Amino acid sequence: MIVKSRRNEIVVAYALMAPFIIVYGVLFVYPSVKMFELSFTDAPLIGEGAWVGFKNFWRLQSDRLFSTAIWNTTYFVLLSVVPSTLIGLAVALGVNRLRGRLQGVVLAAFFLPYILPVSVVYRIWSWMFDKDFGVAQYVITPFTGGQHVSVFRTLPLFMPAVAFVTIWWLLGFNVLLFIAGLRNISSEIYEAAALDGAGRWTQFRRITWPLIWPVTALVLTIQLILQLKIFDQVYLFANNVRTDATMVMVQYILKQAFQMNKGGLAAAASVVLFLVIVVASVLQFQLLRARGER
Amino acid sequence: MTAAAEAGQELAAALATRRLARLRHLDLFGLVITLTTLGFAVVWAFPLYWGLVTTFKPEYEVVRPGVQLWPEHFTLEAYVHVLMRTKIGIWYLNSLITSGAVTAIVVTMAVGAGYAISQLRFPGRRLFWWTILASFMIPIPSLTVPHFILMSQFHWINTLPGVIAPQLIAPGALSVIIYKQFFDSVPKDFREAAVIDGASEFQLLFRIYLPMNWGITTALVIITFIGAWNLFLWPFVAVNTEDKMNITVGITQVHDAFGVSYARDLAVAMLAALPVAIVYLVFQRRVTQAIMLSAGIKG
Amino acid sequence: MPHVELRRVTKRYGPVTAVSDLSLSVEKGSFTALLGPSGCGKSTLLRMIAGLEEITVGDCFINGVDVTDAPPAKRRIAMVFQSYALYPHMTVRQNIAFSLSVAGAPRKTQSERALEVARILQLEPFLDRRPAELSGGQRQRVAIGRALVRKPEVFLFDEPLSNLDAKLRVQMRLELAKLHADLGTTMIYVTHDQTEAMTLADMIVVLDKGRISQVGSPLELYNAPANKFVASFIGSPSMNFIDVRIASVNGQTASVVLPGGRETMVRVGAEGAPGDSTELGVRPEHLTVVDPQDPTASFNGAVTIVERLGNSTLLYVDTPGGQLIVEGKGNLEVKSGEPVGLKVMESQVHLFGPTGSVL
Repeated sequence: MIVKSRRNEIVVAYALMAPFIIVYGVLFVYPSVKMFELSFTDAPLIGEGAWVGFKNFWRLQSDRLFSTAIWNTTYFVLLSVVPSTLIGLAVALGVNRLRGRLQGVVLAAFFLPYILPVSVVYRIWSWMFDKDFGVAQYVITPFTGGQHVSVFRTLPLFMPAVAFVTIWWLLGFNVLLFIAGLRNISSEIYEAAALDGAGRWTQFRRITWPLIWPVTALVLTIQLILQLKIFDQVYLFANNVRTDATMVMVQYILKQAFQMNKGGLAAAASVVLFLVIVVASVLQFQLLRARGER
Repeated sequence: MTAAAEAGQELAAALATRRLARLRHLDLFGLVITLTTLGFAVVWAFPLYWGLVTTFKPEYEVVRPGVQLWPEHFTLEAYVHVLMRTKIGIWYLNSLITSGAVTAIVVTMAVGAGYAISQLRFPGRRLFWWTILASFMIPIPSLTVPHFILMSQFHWINTLPGVIAPQLIAPGALSVIIYKQFFDSVPKDFREAAVIDGASEFQLLFRIYLPMNWGITTALVIITFIGAWNLFLWPFVAVNTEDKMNITVGITQVHDAFGVSYARDLAVAMLAALPVAIVYLVFQRRVTQAIMLSAGIKG
Repeated sequence: MPHVELRRVTKRYGPVTAVSDLSLSVEKGSFTALLGPSGCGKSTLLRMIAGLEEITVGDCFINGVDVTDAPPAKRRIAMVFQSYALYPHMTVRQNIAFSLSVAGAPRKTQSERALEVARILQLEPFLDRRPAELSGGQRQRVAIGRALVRKPEVFLFDEPLSNLDAKLRVQMRLELAKLHADLGTTMIYVTHDQTEAMTLADMIVVLDKGRISQVGSPLELYNAPANKFVASFIGSPSMNFIDVRIASVNGQTASVVLPGGRETMVRVGAEGAPGDSTELGVRPEHLTVVDPQDPTASFNGAVTIVERLGNSTLLYVDTPGGQLIVEGKGNLEVKSGEPVGLKVMESQVHLFGPTGSVL
C-alpha cells in the first residue's frame, strides 16, 4: 500500500492487538518467566526466596514421591493413550458405515461424555463402581467369587480404572477426528481394491491404515500431551485416600505448593513437567514422521 | 458376433457375478459390524443413562439390589433437595459469570489480534506469531503456581476476576490462531475492492472479514464457553470458599454434607452437566466443527 | 492534458522488476486496453494506477493531479475485478451502495443511488438477492454497478470477462461497449485476449515483459505492427513468419529471397542491408492459393490439414519456409495432400530484423 498510510496501519495494528498483548504478557509471558525464575529459588508459595541454583532439581531427583509421580503419570499415559486411539479408530470405522439420523445419534452417544465436566464424569463412575450398590459389581463379582470390590481403593486397580473412565470420557474426540479422516478416503479406492480381490483385512491394512495414518499420528500426539497433564480425575477418584501412592505430576506440583508451602520446589517440578512434555512431543513427532514416511 | 466379442461378454458376466457375490457377502459382514457398533454405542451410553435414571429414584430404590432400568417411583426429590439445600444456585451463577466473561473477553481480543496478524504489517508481527505458537508447548498446569502468586498479588484469590484471568490465555491463543487462518483465507480481492471503496481497517474488519466468518465466531464462542464451564483445576486452586466456586468444583464438595446419598450426588452432577449438554445437542455441528479446528491447530 | 498519465514508472518486487521505465498517457473519455500475455505487467500497471501497488520509481497523475502517494479511495477511480469480489454476505443493493455506506451517506441516498445504477444495468429485480443467487453475467453487472455508483473519473477493469463462457463473453463485450458509449468515462481495460482489445478499445497498449511494445489504435497495430511481438500477438489466426534473406535494397524497396528461391519485393523503412537475415511476416488472409505451376507463386507446398469454418477455410501448408497458415474466404476446393502454390500479397508483408522490430 501507499507509504504515507503505513504509519496509520501500524497504529491501527497495535490498537487491535493491544488487549491481547496485555493479557498475554501479564498472564502468560510473565508467569512463564516467573516459573523458571522461581524454580531456582527456595521461595515459599507467597513471598521472596533466596537463589539456590539447581538445588530444587536435585531435591526432586532424590524425592521418592516425585519418582512415584513420574511413574504414575507414565503408567497412566501407557494405559490410556494407545488404547483410546485404537478404540477410537475402531468405533469410527463402525460409525462411518452408518448414515443420516442413525449416525448422528450414535455419534452423539460417543461424543456426549466429552462435553461433560470431569466432576460429572467422576460422579457417574464412582456410582457405577460403588462398592455396595454399583452396577459394575455385577461384572466384577464373577471374577472374585462373589466379593464386592472397592475399585478405587484397591491400589493395583486404581490407575487402570481411572484410565478406563478417562477413555470413556474422551473417546468421542478421537472418534470425531477419525471419522473426518475416513470421510476423506474416496470409496472408489475400496471398490477398486475389492475388484482386485483384496479381502477386508487386506483393505484395512493396505488402504485404510496408511491413509488414516496422519490422523492417527495427530490423535496420538494430542492424547499424549493431554494425559501427561492429568490431574482432575486422579485427584477426584483418589478422594483423599492413598493420595501419595497414586500421585501424578501435576498433583505433586500442587502438593508442594499448597500443602508444603514450597513455591520454589513446586516451580521446579513445573519446569520438569514442561520439559517432559516438550521432549515427549518432539520424540513422538520424529517417531511418527519416520513411520509415516516408511 | 466375433470370438473376441464373445469372450469379452463372458468375462463381463463372470466379473458381474463375482461382484454380486462379494457384495452379498459384504452385506452380511456389514450387518454384523453395524449391529456391533450399535450395541457398543448402547453400552457406551449406559453409564450416562444409568446416572440420570438414578436421580429420579427414591433413595430406597437406589440401594435396592438388582438393576431397575426405569424407576418404580419416579420422583424429583433428589433435585428438590439439591436445589434447596445446597449452594447450587450460587455455583450456577458463578459459572455463568466466569464462563461468560471468559468467552466474551477471549473472542473480543482474539478477533482484533487475529485480524492484525493476518492483514496488517507492523514491526514485531513475526515475533508475536511465533510466541503464540510456541506457547502451546508450555502446559497450563505448569503455570498454576505462578498464576496463584500473581493473582494473590492482585488480591484476586477467591474472587471471580481471579478465576477468570488465567483462563484467558489458552482459548485466547487458540482463537487468535483460528481467526488468523480464516482471515488469511479471505481472497485479497475483497480487501482491495473495499479499500478502493474507501473503507478503513476497522470497517474492513467489522463489515467484511468478521461477517464473512460468523460461523467460526459461533463455533469459538461455543467451545470457549464449554471449556470454561467444565474447567476444574484452576477454579479449584483459586477459590477456597463455597460461595465462590464454579459448579464443576462445587459439586465435588457436596457429598460430605449428606453422608452417602447417591441420588442427590448424581442429581447435582446432572444439573451441572445440563447447560453444556444442551448447548452441545443444539449446536452439534458447530461444536464438532470447532473441535476439529482446534485439533488441526494442535497438530 | 492527458486524463491519466504514468511518467517513467518502474515497479520492483525485491530483485524482480515487473515494470521498467514505462510512460503512458490516456486521453479523457477513451477506452484504452492494456494488452499482453501473462506476466507482462499489465495488471501491475492497472493496480499502480488504482493505488493498490506502490510505484517504486516514477509518478502517476490523474486529471493533472499527482496521485502517486494518494490512497486508492482518494483517486476518484473505481475498479472491476476479475473475480468481481462481490461481498457474499450482502445483498446486491448493499454491495452497490457499499462505498456510500462506508462514507457515511444517509440511508435514503444510498437507496436512491443504488436504484439509479441498478436501472442502468437492468439489475432492478435482483436488488435484494445475494451474489450466490446470481448468474455470472448478473454478478459482473453488479460489480460494474458498484464501480458506477461512485461516479469515478476513471474506470479500471482487470480482465473482467475471463470468468465467463464464450457466448456470455461476447454479450458482455457489447454491453461494455454500450456502457462506454453512454457514459463517456475514461476506461482502462486489462486483458490478454486480443479480440476483446481489438473490439472494445480506441487505443491499445501492447505490453511485453514490463515494457511497452507498441501503442496505437487497433487498426494501426493490425496493419502496421512495430515489431514481431505485436505482429504475432494481434490477429487470429496469427501471422506467419518465414526466414528470408535480403538480396538488395533500392531506396524504399527491398528485394527479398524466399525459401525455395523465389523473390519478392517488400517496402522497408530506413534499416535493412543486403545479406541480412530477417523474417518476413505475412498474415494468413494475405496468402492466396494458386496453381502449383504458376510462375508468379511465391512458394510451393503441400496442404496437410484443411479446416472448414463455413465462411472461411484455413489451410495448413508445408512449404520450404515452414508450415504456413492460409486463410481463404468461403469454401476452398482444396484437399489434404494436394500440392499448391502460394502467392504473397506484396503490399501487405512486413520485414522484421534481428531485434524483432520492423524494417
